[in-house]
This record gives sequence, C-alpha cells and structure tokens, in this order.
Amino acid sequence: MIRLDNVTKQYTTEVTAVRDASFDIPKGEFVFLVGASGSGKSTLLRLLNRQERPERGSVFVAGQDLNAMADSKVPFLRRNIGNIFQDYKLLLNKTVFENVAFTLEVIGRPNHVIKQQVPAVLELVQLHGKEDRFPHQLSGGEQQRVSIARAFVNRPLIMLADEPTGNLDPSTGEGIMRLLDRINKTGTTVVMATHDQRIVNMMRRRVIQLDRGVIIRDQVRGVYE
Amino acid sequence: MLTRITYALRETWASFKRNVTLSAASIVTAAVALLLAGSTLLIQKAFSNLLIQWQGGVEMIVFMKAGTAPEQIASVKQEIVDAGVAAPDGISTLDQQQTYDQAKVVLAGQTTLLNALTPTSMYSEIRVTPAKGQQDRLPDLKTQIEIEPNVSKVGLATDAILVYRRLSSFVRGVTIVLSSVLLMVAVLLIWNTIRTAMFARRREIEVMKLVGATNWFIRIPFMLEGLLQGLIGSVVSCIGLVAANSLWTNNLNGIAHDTKSSETISLLALRVDSGYLQGIMVIVVIIGMAAGAIGAGVAASRFLDV
Repeated sequence: MIRLDNVTKQYTTEVTAVRDASFDIPKGEFVFLVGASGSGKSTLLRLLNRQERPERGSVFVAGQDLNAMADSKVPFLRRNIGNIFQDYKLLLNKTVFENVAFTLEVIGRPNHVIKQQVPAVLELVQLHGKEDRFPHQLSGGEQQRVSIARAFVNRPLIMLADEPTGNLDPSTGEGIMRLLDRINKTGTTVVMATHDQRIVNMMRRRVIQLDRGVIIRDQVRGVYE
Repeated sequence: MLTRITYALRETWASFKRNVTLSAASIVTAAVALLLAGSTLLIQKAFSNLLIQWQGGVEMIVFMKAGTAPEQIASVKQEIVDAGVAAPDGISTLDQQQTYDQAKVVLAGQTTLLNALTPTSMYSEIRVTPAKGQQDRLPDLKTQIEIEPNVSKVGLATDAILVYRRLSSFVRGVTIVLSSVLLMVAVLLIWNTIRTAMFARRREIEVMKLVGATNWFIRIPFMLEGLLQGLIGSVVSCIGLVAANSLWTNNLNGIAHDTKSSETISLLALRVDSGYLQGIMVIVVIIGMAAGAIGAGVAASRFLDV
C-alpha cells in the first residue's frame, strides 16, 4: 500500500528532515512512527499525501509513484487518504454534521449520499445526537472524533494521523486509539505519528522509529523505547 | 454536479457578505473606472457624429440660406468651378431635403426636435473636395464666396476638423489614461479583496485540499465573487452612463429648442442615440465581469497555497 525507497527530504541545505528512508507498509497494517520532536515524523506523513516532495528517492502510495504524479492528479490521490491532526483542524463556523459532510461535498458527492453516509460515520465515532453542535460546544475528545469521522466518511484506503492524542488526556486518548483500531480492522491502513509511549506500548503494533530524519528501528509488534 | 454548483454559489454569497466593506470599495472603483471607459466611447461617437459631414475628403462647405433658389446655388457652384480649386467631380450639392435627411440621421430618435425642423427651414450645402495641392487656395476662395448674397457662411475643414479632431484626441487620450488607471486600481482592489477572503479562509482551504478538492473547485467561488463585484460595478456604471447621456442630450435638445436654427444641427450631432448607448453598456458589463473574474482568478491561483 505504501512504499518508500531511499527517500530524502531537505528543507534547506542545513535542515534534512528525512534521510535515506525506506520501508514498505502492506494494506491493512497499523504502523506507529515514533521519535522525538523534529525527528521527521510529520514530514514523512506529509510526503505520503504529497504535501511535500522528496529531493531524492521514490514514494509509492496505492501503487502510484507520487514523484511522477501530475499536480492535477493529487486531489484524486488525497480522496483515498484520510488525515487526522493533533489540533483537529475543524471548521469552527460549521456544525459537526457540516464538518463531516464537507469532505463529501468538496468531492462532489450528491446530497442523498451525504445524508446517508454522515449519520452512519457519526454513529461509528459515537457522536450520534450531536450533529448540530459547533466545535466549541464539544470536548477535545469529541472534536477529535469529528476529525476522525471527517477523515473516514469517504472510506479511504489509508489514514494518516499526526499526534491525534497529543492534546487529550490518557483515557480520552485510549478511546481515540480504540476507534482507530476499529477503523484499521475494516481494512484501512493506518499510519500514526506519536510520541505517546503509553499508547504505543498498549497497542503493540509495528513501530518505525526515527532519529534526526534517519530510521533507526523498524519493529513488528514493537514498543516505545 | 448540483451539489458543486450549490456549494459554489453558497460560498460566493457568504464570502461576499463577509467582506462587505472591501467588496464595496472594489465595486465603487470598478464603477468609476467603467463609467469613464464608457464615457470615452460615447465621446468618440459624439465626435464621429460631428465630423460626419466632413467625410470623403470634403474640406469646404458652403451653407446657402434657406429658400435660396436653385439657379442662385448653381451660380455659386459655377464660381467655385471657375476658381479651379476643386478636384474633378469634387463639388457636390445637398438640397434642403438632403440636409434635412442628414439631420434625421444625426437626430435619430429625437422626434420633438425633428418635428421642430422642416425641409424648408434647412440650408442647402455645396461641398468641395479640393484638387491635389489646391488646399492652400481654399481660404481665398472662402473670402470670395462668403460675400455672395445668398451664402449664410462658409466652413473650412481646416478650421472645423482640426479643432474637433484635436479636441477629440485630447479628450480621448485623457479619458483612456484615466479609465485604464482606474480599471487597474479596480482589478487590484478586487485582487486584494479575494486575497483577504482567502487568507480569512486559509484553514478551510487547507482542509479542502487535504480531503481532495481540486484547485478549480476551490478557485471558482472566489472567481464568482470577483465576477459579482465586477458585475455590480458595471451595472452601477451603466446607470451613470444612462444618466449622463440623458442629461447631455436634454441640454443639447434645450439649446436646439431655444435657438431653432439650422446651424444647431452641427451641435446636435454630438448626441449619441440610445441604440449605441445600449451597445456600450453591454461592452462595459462584459469588461467589468471579465476584469473581476480575472483579477480574482489570478489572486486565487496565487494564494491557493495559504
């Protein structure tokens, strides 16, 4: 599903975010990217949805070479990738329903599909009954659930999560992880950047560890070291 | 498709309302610029009407008093032929009916004014196209002819045309420069309004890009907003053009009504008929909409990476 071949990403000649990274993630796998702040986790995620392009090496997502992909094709790639962020990135002037529907609306799904799929995904993330609330009327955990619903409503092949539990207390964070686990069990590949040791150790999934842009460990059923 | 159209229209209107102050500034500037641009075209048409009788190389017109007998006109014509200034076939005569017919073209649509004129109140004209190299002799011929008893006056193209053409060219130059500058300012204002709107919605745009919206999908509501500003500005300028033209026409009609002289024909030629004005208004609306959409489109493309 995802393959990196000797990928290097430099922001300036002095700053190399990712250095010679290679790995392969099969369909349906759950992978943690771990490492200290500035180790290159977020850059790796940004390379996977073509927000960044590498200076060297190749990135393959869903069988497509992102280096060779025309800019006009990138939106269609992103329709297969759900994104979750630490700060949720919800639209504050839209309700829960509208935030989730937004994903379907911008890719031109008809109204009857939106009316059918949004309640279903809100049910999945246990936000049924809160459709008309605005983000400021929700707790952090609920906001993150909206963000997950928005990312998953289009049933993407891949979910990229950048520190999704970073702003949440431990028990809320665990709830979010259970949700991501459920999504992963539907066959969606999940790649999650985190430095939440407790969660990584609890989940016991594949761990790719970065240190100053270099992959120093790739461990099946790994822990946070 | 319907979802996308509904989305684009809803977002356009929401953004337009959100930036109402900046939108108003863009609209007013666009309206003033387009009003000037439209006025330039009207002024050009007015001068073109005014110079209509000087077409075909005519450089001297002898205006014969109303009621002059044909043989007296022929006598003056013969005097011109004898002077040897005119080109072969360079002398033509318009009788009162023909000058009346010309007045009807120039005064098209002004029924009140036309009703005040009759063929018998019109002058007859002798139009002279000089032979090559004979232009310098026209002032002497004018002096010779204008003392004839039935001659009302003699006009030389060198007097009239040069004055009108210089005036026309000056007014055109000034208005073109002014309207171009103002139109550019309007485009820049629209550009800035769209840039501000995009900055205000940068979070939304970021999310849209991440969930797979195409650049055109993001760009179109902003372009529609610019187009809407251009459209409203151009409609305002059209109202201004109609008002200005109506005021101008009423003033000219008033002068004609007061004097009731056939000589006011040349002044009335400065009128622009409503058919031409409608054509100008269509052009103004198209320019306004295109300028708004292009300005917004450029801004939207430039700041799509917010």
